[in-house]
Amino acid sequence: MSEAPAISSPPNAAVTSHERSTNALARRLARLTFQTNFEEERFFLILSIFIGVFSGLAVVCFRVAIDWSRIALMGALPHPHALRIIGAPTAVGLLVAVLVVHVFPQVRGSGVNQTKAALYVYNGYIPFKNAVGKFLCSALAIGSGQSLGPEDPSLQIGASLASALGRRLELSREKLRLLAPVGAAAGLAAAFNAPISAVLFVIEEVIGRWSAGILGSVVLSAISSVVVMRWFLGADAIFRVPVTAFVHPAELLAYAVLGLVGALAAVIFANAIGYFRPRLRVFPRWTHYLQPALAGFFIGLIGWLGAPQVMGAGYEFIDQAMHDQFAWKFLAILAGLKIIATTLSFVSGTPGGMFAPTLFVGAMLGGAVGGVERHFFPLLTVSTGTYALVGMGVLFAAFLRAPMTSVFMVLEVSGNYSIIVPVIVANTVAYVISRALQPVPIFDLLTRQDGLVLPSLEEQREEEILRVEDAMKPGTALILDASASLEEVAIRTRDLPDKIFLVRMSPAGWSSITRELLDRMMKEGKGALTLASVLPIRRLPYLYPDLPLDAALRYINQAELIPVVNRADLRELEGVVTRDDVLSRYQADAVDD
Amino acid sequence: MDSPAPTAQARRTPLVLAALTIIAILGFAGVSRLVTRLKANEKRIAFHAFEAGLAEFQAGHPERALDDFRAALSYDRDNPQYQLSLARALRDTGRLDESEAYLLHLWEGSPQDSTINLALARLAVRRHSVEDAIRHYHNAIYGVWSSEPDKNRRQSRIELIDFLLQGKGFPQAQAELIALTQVLPPDPAQQLAVADRFRQAQDLPDALARYQAVLKLDRKNASAFAGAGDVAFQLGRYRTAENDLRKAIELNPSDAESRRQLETASLVLATDPFLRRISDAERDRRIVSVFNQAGNRLKACARAIHVDLPSTASPGKATNANPMPSAGNDLPSLWTRWQAARPKLRKLSSPANADLPDVLMDLILQIEQQAAQQCGPPGGVDLALLLISRDREAVDE
Repeated sequence: MSEAPAISSPPNAAVTSHERSTNALARRLARLTFQTNFEEERFFLILSIFIGVFSGLAVVCFRVAIDWSRIALMGALPHPHALRIIGAPTAVGLLVAVLVVHVFPQVRGSGVNQTKAALYVYNGYIPFKNAVGKFLCSALAIGSGQSLGPEDPSLQIGASLASALGRRLELSREKLRLLAPVGAAAGLAAAFNAPISAVLFVIEEVIGRWSAGILGSVVLSAISSVVVMRWFLGADAIFRVPVTAFVHPAELLAYAVLGLVGALAAVIFANAIGYFRPRLRVFPRWTHYLQPALAGFFIGLIGWLGAPQVMGAGYEFIDQAMHDQFAWKFLAILAGLKIIATTLSFVSGTPGGMFAPTLFVGAMLGGAVGGVERHFFPLLTVSTGTYALVGMGVLFAAFLRAPMTSVFMVLEVSGNYSIIVPVIVANTVAYVISRALQPVPIFDLLTRQDGLVLPSLEEQREEEILRVEDAMKPGTALILDASASLEEVAIRTRDLPDKIFLVRMSPAGWSSITRELLDRMMKEGKGALTLASVLPIRRLPYLYPDLPLDAALRYINQAELIPVVNRADLRELEGVVTRDDVLSRYQADAVDD
Repeated sequence: MDSPAPTAQARRTPLVLAALTIIAILGFAGVSRLVTRLKANEKRIAFHAFEAGLAEFQAGHPERALDDFRAALSYDRDNPQYQLSLARALRDTGRLDESEAYLLHLWEGSPQDSTINLALARLAVRRHSVEDAIRHYHNAIYGVWSSEPDKNRRQSRIELIDFLLQGKGFPQAQAELIALTQVLPPDPAQQLAVADRFRQAQDLPDALARYQAVLKLDRKNASAFAGAGDVAFQLGRYRTAENDLRKAIELNPSDAESRRQLETASLVLATDPFLRRISDAERDRRIVSVFNQAGNRLKACARAIHVDLPSTASPGKATNANPMPSAGNDLPSLWTRWQAARPKLRKLSSPANADLPDVLMDLILQIEQQAAQQCGPPGGVDLALLLISRDREAVDE
């Protein structure tokens, strides 16, 4: 059955048989083209659901693998033996290094940048081998206690699966390119059990722009993967969030302080990674075998010396921090140690994510700041758990620089909307300060260290764009009326220096007439004719002052003079732009940069 | 009308979707098997940790049990039994906020669960939060118990009553006790426990009724006789008290408190001139006797605290004066009044002095009260007189 609308032509008895056959062919081609596009779109949407399902299954397996490896390597007891605490991450670090150096060289790091690069550089191509490597190496590393999280690897596993599936199905290059973020959203949503945050993060960090074309697919895949994950592992949020409430507006100040402290911690964290990562990578190749093992050794040592909480993803300890189980001094120590441990793990090239460590540092820091504030201001009613919860969002906003995701992440994780105001305040403070102190976001920094320059939504968001009003000149002194005769116009313009005049057409629209045309018409004795009768039917294009200046580029070769009009009254002239105005403005901007 | 020619992709689409569906189904089956195995393994580990924690907890080491319970929960985080155990251990180690967080989380999941409500109530008791404790105890009483609901409900209510008694919330405790009596089985031990709590809640009539109910079930219950005797004594029902206390001593000769009370009750009965069913002569005899006893008590008390009493009263004054002059109630004044009243004893049997017994008894009781105030609690007949005075005041009120 065809879903293409019938293209009807008016009955015409005079058409020839040749014309009829030509028309039929054109209609048929139109139907086929429409149907092909439509079916591809529909197929892409259905495929997004399958990608979500497969990514969800893969992430469930990934979680199972991490749990297995944790039990096998660290034991099931609450207090493992020192040999396990130090030995497991060291030995596994060595194994992972061999795998990364010889078998899976592209699985280093978190996976967010690789996915982004696939979208922008490699036409959506991510080798399936990457998914396998990321799965194996990350599961081993996280299970052995390396201070990394499972979310970013899940994102890359999802993207790799989607890419492999797209290639297998021989999708068009355009669709193939879009599949990577679709899979990424699915992987992240399943890992985090938070579909909204996953969609937002992929848009903020991977796609880098809001695109209606892909949003539906991303949402579908994220939701289907979360459904699969919940089917197997339950619908509970990652954390059991204690009862939280925002009681008094004055408490916002306390949260703002948390935002400030979080921003500083995020800057230290990002700078540590940004400083050590390139330096360790230029070390001789043989050291690459030892770096993850050394990182594992030091992390194990930290664990053995009394802070095993910093090992692994650390979700259970975030949970404990939210339930007031640690003193604020210990929380502060844990935050600092986690920054050190994660920096060690990450810069050593061990595959694994930064989401969980970021949340860990945020929760501990939030709890510590809350503890200090409550110590000095006992009237504050907020619990330490609430500060820990807000702290997670703060670090997310300041370190990963995904402000929208950070807000929704806290809401999704807590299921408590009464805390939205403190979260927004703290996250905004953290984001603004972090951005001022560390202009390049961590993911962009890592990409640049890898020799790639990928678009960033943050840069686009903060970029100062030129607008039409920046190049616009005030309106010409004289605006002619379309009902005026050429003779009247000639008299009015006789003493003016302009070579071209704008004409306000009736009932709407704008046109222009050159002095040259006017003089020629007058010589031909057409002075009695009105402007409306001699000007071309086609009107001049017009612009609004707030449009990006790029919009003017489309018209500057069509007309010498482009009117800029008021949005409320299209007959009111705000100014004019010419080709020279636009180019001059761009040149001036380039010189300023 | 022309039908569109299907493209190669369009022809392939159903096959692709079918293949993807089959792969997804196979994937579900495989992952399901994997997850089932993992969960079974984790549940096994969790159970071992829980058992270890429970052993520590029952051995009185809640601090050590914490780690095990936490480990159990890390492998089986939704297990309410583990959560509840952890919450209890946290409560017993004084981490009340954390315990509350766990319990509230559990409570949100099943607000009707009486076990959780009981744990929350105990937490509220630790916090001295009366309202929360009452609310959660009531939730526990009226909620759902997985086993032995009647017994657990009774036990929860008894806990609530004890909490209220501790905080001197006697009216609330009395209300809870009355509710408890409706569901009490005919078990002497339980009835006796409730009677004791009625007595603690100062609901003496109900306490007496409950002790009597116990005695109907068990005629040889010494504690019930002692309790009933004590309550009857406090109620001023000395005859009943005497009977019950005597039986209590017969059944439990080592019950010194009952013996002491019995002596006092017997003295009250032997001394009280207002006792019904005694003759006028006996009444007069008792008044004379207790009048002299009061005088002796007054003298002894004054001597003990080194207060000089006036040597003699003026005979003329004594004859005409009111034996209850408006003088103060200090020992010398009382002694003066006592001496002034002494000659009146002879007129006790005269019908013209019908109110004289009351007047004399008032003076006697004032002397006993004042002496008790200044020289400490009396014993023997003086104590009996003091009790008689208390009962008379209660009647006047």
